[in-house]
Amino acid sequence: MKKCFLFLAVIFIVTLQLIWPGFLTFFNCKPDLLLVFAVSLVFYFDFKTALIFAILTGFAKDIFLPSSFAINTVSFSIWVYLVYKLLRQISSENDYVRLAIVLLVIFLNNIVTNLQILSLGNIVPMGIFLRNLIISSIYSAAVSPLIYKLIKKIGAGV
Amino acid sequence: MFKLPRKTLINFILIVCFILLASNSLSCFKDSVQKTFKPHLSFIGLLKREIGGIVFYHRNMIKAEDLALEVGVLRSKLFDLREIYQENSRFKNLLNFKQKSPLRLIPARVIGRSVDSWSSSVIIDKGKYQGIKRGMAVINHSGLIGRIIESADGVSKVLLINDPGQGISSIVQRSRQEGLVSGTLGANLIMRYLPENAQIITGDIIVTSELSQIYPKGLLIGKVINVGVEFSGLNRYAVVRPSVDLANIEEVLVIIQ
Repeated sequence: MKKCFLFLAVIFIVTLQLIWPGFLTFFNCKPDLLLVFAVSLVFYFDFKTALIFAILTGFAKDIFLPSSFAINTVSFSIWVYLVYKLLRQISSENDYVRLAIVLLVIFLNNIVTNLQILSLGNIVPMGIFLRNLIISSIYSAAVSPLIYKLIKKIGAGV
Repeated sequence: MFKLPRKTLINFILIVCFILLASNSLSCFKDSVQKTFKPHLSFIGLLKREIGGIVFYHRNMIKAEDLALEVGVLRSKLFDLREIYQENSRFKNLLNFKQKSPLRLIPARVIGRSVDSWSSSVIIDKGKYQGIKRGMAVINHSGLIGRIIESADGVSKVLLINDPGQGISSIVQRSRQEGLVSGTLGANLIMRYLPENAQIITGDIIVTSELSQIYPKGLLIGKVINVGVEFSGLNRYAVVRPSVDLANIEEVLVIIQ
């Protein structure tokens, strides 16, 4: 049942990401809700469930991106694995720790995405790169408590 | 001798298989998933428009009054242009020029936008059923918007001109100076590969060139707002403001012929 709700949550977040209103974008940046969702799963679910849904979320993101390589499917699963490893070393009881982890993951993921753009021979100006990197990461981290709430509710059986 | 542990080897093979499987299956699932998302995206889009109409009633009313005035002015201009058009047609016939065939367009509505900040694309509600194919140019009344990069049964994905993956062969309308316009993910575009003595100034209009394999010749791209010298010092570049407000596109026209 919980997995069913998680699946519905993925559809809901993909839809939200696709129709994200223009007036809620800051400097043309929107939060990466899908990555926040994938990473947050590790905090509230077992590793297997988190990994499966991270792959599903990454796959859903790749489907709606212009790129033909499934970079998010691969990277989301790697982030989930790394966060899982990290959580075995540190405690994530504190909200600020979770926020810091999510911020770090989004920051690194944005760098990986930019490297992928560069590897294709396309150039993103430094100003726009920094804007996307910083604002998008902070914005995603800022909305992450809402995603935690959603996952927490699903984890508790709604 | 260097020997890999069996477990590491198996894990490595599994990871490689997973990456290959994910990348290959992506294209198989794209059509069906995008099609599945279409109905509720269309519905939410409709709901958003209706609610926006109610919430911004006063703003829309003032805008409608302004537009009514503008329509009057444009009607008179159109009348003048019709005269010029007819005159032009007559001259073309007289000179035995090949009549340029009008573009065949399909109107479509934007139902979704890019899922991240690192690409610039939109999803439209028309696809293969309506004759839309990969590579077709997309415009609106203001100018060029982008091109179709994926087409499913009832939906298509449009790569906007401000995506860094775009490269449009273009010319300066005034001086016929050629260059390559590409996206920057920002509000402006950049025109590169301009020689040092390029005939380009601020305010010049940039249109698509006949060298472009995808875009018909003469589509309006935007206006030059700044001209500079590239870091290497060998070429110049121009910053181009697109004629279309790419952040707020709602309806588009796909050129099918």
